[in-house]
Amino acid sequence: MKKIFTALLFSSALFLSAPAAHALSVNEIVAKANHAAYYQGEDGRARVKMDITDSQGRKRTRDFVILRKDIGDDDKEQKFYVYFNRPADVSKTVFMVWKHVNGDDDRWLYLPALDLVKRIAATDERTSFVGSDFFYEDVSGRNPSEDTHELLEETDNYYILKSTPKKPDQVEFSYFKSYIHKETFIPVKIEFFDKNGEKYREGSAEAVDTIQGHPTVTKGRMKDLRSGSETVLSYSSVQYDAGLPEDIFTERYLRQAPTEYIKR
Amino acid sequence: MFILSELAVAKPKIFMRLAIILSLLFIAGVAAPTFFPKQVPFLAPLSIDTDPENMLSADEPVRIFHNDRKKEYSLYDMIVVGVVNKSNPQGVFNPQSLQNIYDLGEYARQISWQGDNGPEGVIQAEIISPSNVDNIAQAGEGTVRFEWLMSSPPATEEAALDVYRKASHLPFLDNTLVSGDGKAMALYIPITAKNISYQVAAQLKEKIATFSGDDTYHITGLPIAQDTFGVEMFIQMAVSAPLAMLLIFALMWVFFRSVKLIIAPMIVAMVSVIFTMGALVMTGHTVHIMSSMIPVFIMPIAVLDAVHILSDFFDVYPRYKDRRKTIRHVMEELSKPMLFTSLTTAAGFGSLAFTPIPPVQVFGIFIALGVAAAWFFTVTLVPAYIMLMSEKSLDGFGMAHHEDAAHPTTPLARILYATGRFTYARAKLVLLLMLVLIGVSGYGISKIQINDNPVKWFSASHPIRIADKELNQRFAGTYMAYLELAPKDDQTAAFAASLTQAISGHNTPQARVFMQELPVFKGDVNAMKDFISAQQETAADDEAYYAWDDLAALVDEVYGHFEWFKHPDMLHYVEKLQEYLLQTGLVGKSNALPDVVKTVHRELFLGKDDAFRIPETQNAVAQTLLTYQNSHRPNDLWHFTTPSYDKTVLWIQLKSGDNKDMSKLVEAVDTFFSKNPAPVALDHQWFGLTYINVVWQQKMVSGMMEAFLGSFVIVLVMMIFLFRSITWGILSMVPLTVTIAFIYGIIGLIGKDYDMPVAVLSSLSLGLAVDYAIHFLARSREAAERHGSWKDAIQSVFGEPARAITRNVIVIGMGFTPLLFAPLVPYKTVGFFISAILLFAGIATLLILPALITLFEKFLFKSKRRPA
Repeated sequence: MKKIFTALLFSSALFLSAPAAHALSVNEIVAKANHAAYYQGEDGRARVKMDITDSQGRKRTRDFVILRKDIGDDDKEQKFYVYFNRPADVSKTVFMVWKHVNGDDDRWLYLPALDLVKRIAATDERTSFVGSDFFYEDVSGRNPSEDTHELLEETDNYYILKSTPKKPDQVEFSYFKSYIHKETFIPVKIEFFDKNGEKYREGSAEAVDTIQGHPTVTKGRMKDLRSGSETVLSYSSVQYDAGLPEDIFTERYLRQAPTEYIKR
Repeated sequence: MFILSELAVAKPKIFMRLAIILSLLFIAGVAAPTFFPKQVPFLAPLSIDTDPENMLSADEPVRIFHNDRKKEYSLYDMIVVGVVNKSNPQGVFNPQSLQNIYDLGEYARQISWQGDNGPEGVIQAEIISPSNVDNIAQAGEGTVRFEWLMSSPPATEEAALDVYRKASHLPFLDNTLVSGDGKAMALYIPITAKNISYQVAAQLKEKIATFSGDDTYHITGLPIAQDTFGVEMFIQMAVSAPLAMLLIFALMWVFFRSVKLIIAPMIVAMVSVIFTMGALVMTGHTVHIMSSMIPVFIMPIAVLDAVHILSDFFDVYPRYKDRRKTIRHVMEELSKPMLFTSLTTAAGFGSLAFTPIPPVQVFGIFIALGVAAAWFFTVTLVPAYIMLMSEKSLDGFGMAHHEDAAHPTTPLARILYATGRFTYARAKLVLLLMLVLIGVSGYGISKIQINDNPVKWFSASHPIRIADKELNQRFAGTYMAYLELAPKDDQTAAFAASLTQAISGHNTPQARVFMQELPVFKGDVNAMKDFISAQQETAADDEAYYAWDDLAALVDEVYGHFEWFKHPDMLHYVEKLQEYLLQTGLVGKSNALPDVVKTVHRELFLGKDDAFRIPETQNAVAQTLLTYQNSHRPNDLWHFTTPSYDKTVLWIQLKSGDNKDMSKLVEAVDTFFSKNPAPVALDHQWFGLTYINVVWQQKMVSGMMEAFLGSFVIVLVMMIFLFRSITWGILSMVPLTVTIAFIYGIIGLIGKDYDMPVAVLSSLSLGLAVDYAIHFLARSREAAERHGSWKDAIQSVFGEPARAITRNVIVIGMGFTPLLFAPLVPYKTVGFFISAILLFAGIATLLILPALITLFEKFLFKSKRRPA
């Protein structure tokens, strides 16, 4: 209900502000999509089941809880806390990210069996997220200002955008195309193209549920078309505005997980 | 057979026309599907096969295992590009060279195209080049960093050296990507299939041609070797076969001085080759390294019988001065020995059909077929051809005057006459020499070293050999072998049993439900997890949810125990094996799971050398590996183990691709496993091309031995049947036995490896060398009968019959020598030894047989007369 109301509100506001062109500007679409994908609510938590299936059909499963808190409401700074339940031998392992829009993120890794808290340099965010087909950047979100965006096409349901990196030598793609749902602004499909113009990677939203009024991707898939591997993330127990205190996103809580927030 | 010649003499034109039509049909049968595959889909086109793997049939267990594991561990055939700079003190680690290497690496990524069955080309994600592999290193303040080793070409000398320093610090790259001496680099470019390596290499060479600087690029790797082999094979066929033809033509002209007449054997040879190769291609067989030699083999063999006819015709024609009568005389005399020599030759080659190596089988069968064809065309086309010549053109043909054996006039005749006398006078000396020779040969044979190496099929000056030498001097080795370790016992059953036991301690309703379901999962852990997830989604309350959660954790924990290669003690065991491998001196380097664990562990602990070790617990190993999987190439892990960690693979780099070295390694590893039991009983199994070569060699050695013994017996039986006498039968086998012993003795003494072509020789020489004995003994027996005593007979035997044998030795022996001009070593080996065998068999026949007959004269002629 709230979502529809918000949507209505937005469209009417736009209508008022730009009566001649009823369309949104590209950057507005991108900003909304960025918000819909990563910044809904003040904070959020979810239990995630990660299934990595390679081209041979071999499946690996990881179970973790992800906590997120936005710092400020300008869709910029964010903190993430990822707590692993399974496999049993990596249980209690924690990844923590402080996402910065200007400058590199801060990333920590806590490895309980080695009793080690380690900072991981985040100069390159396009490395694998714990062996899956998702990159770090897919999980925490790519900063929209790193690309120039253009609206390729507008269909009944989607805005189709093409985003080209401003620093092409720092990424492995030459551009990506995203299909943004016009109503919810959820990017339902994102396709990456290499220097030969060939599609080699494809992410898709497989299930979207409205949770606490927020349209939320509850099942996302990332395919590596070259290796034939794919990863499915299934979200359950999603909760927005859980009142996560900011201090749990600190080094202190890596060794001592905030039990009440990582339960179901 | 005589009937056939009779018919040919009666209707010569029909036979000639038939041969021409048959040849044209076979040529069309090969050409049509090769050039117009769409129009004639029912015919097989000419296809070349240069893959040494095909020495074993496709369903051979070791090949199935090899292909299976290649897929399982995502291993591909690779093109190796070695870059060496000898003028710069920093080797290739200077900005200019690295710029080129960077460009080449980036260029290689884009080499791909749409093939018939999906994309073909380079497997981008698996390229090992400085811009495509990860470096894990310290990034200050106790931070660890994953970064591309060389994300952009370095601008300064110092930054260029840094690339080397970083790579040499990583066990996986040291001595593989960068050379041990810090001067060279090797890129490994995986490709979708071996048969596109030529196309990929051509594109790489094009790119390399645009580079400036003084770097040398070596492109090698087994796929390249094979493709190049295909090209050289065609050269061999295009050069050696016509050359053999020309040489035989020249030699025949020397002996017979009539171009018109000697065209007949050439026609026979041509038609036989066309027939055999046509049959080979049209029956859907590929042209393999072995079968590509067929034309060169068929030609001399086909000419052999025709030379006998011409030789006889040459001697007899002056007597009749009539084609028809002369032919009748010649064919009556020769049709039986010709049939038998053809049968024995066919049997010798046919015996190769019993080897376990498909290309050798095809080679043997089709040569046998070619021999049969050559026999048929000889007994029909040669008489037909002679009949079509005008009587006038034969004027002045033949020996000017009837040569008297007692008063030889030509040098050849004089030498033979002396030989005959010598063997009679000094029979015991000849036999003594023979026995000494056999003794020495026996010693030589005991020294024979069984060995082969497909790269050494190229001559030493070939770019591939040069690259091979250069790269193996600088790197840990370009020959890859893989060793898989897997638990001996059935892990699924053990897991199910452990799980049942673990759950029996839990008394929740969920545990009971799960226990009931357990047999359904058949030990599949993912099925169990999916079941539990589904239960959790519909869980009535938190209590149920967490009860399921506990079960999931339990399943996971029990399962974890079976993830053997996360166990520190198992990793220590692999580490110990790796150390042992290095100590054998056969291995340049091995890469395995412990290297990954140790490297990441070191970087987690500030990059300190003492942290370069396997951590103490399974959880610590798992967490180290989880860290590793945050790199750009997390899937590199699955080159060394499976996602269930139940098996592991060691990548072993050898500096030598010699089978003898690989065999030694296999033995050494067997010893290791028998002396060092693993914490969990393990099976070990090799794969990789270097190992496959060893397997087919073993099969070849034993298979060849069987084939040889088999055909020896067959030929012996044929001889006994031909001479209607056991003694004469055995006698006819003596020269070839001595010849084979002698040749293999020499091979042992000079240290030439017993390889694929050498192995094939035994059967070949059997079929060819017996021919001389047949002709010699048949004529000897006939002469002895005619003259009443061997002493008198020997003079006439060393007349025309000995001359025919000698002419044959020269024509056929020389006929194989064009193989010496082939660019590939196996062809040279075969050419050299076949010529040597024929020469020696000729000598052995002319010396040993008369000496033996002299010594055992009474016994031989008595036993011969007995059945009559």
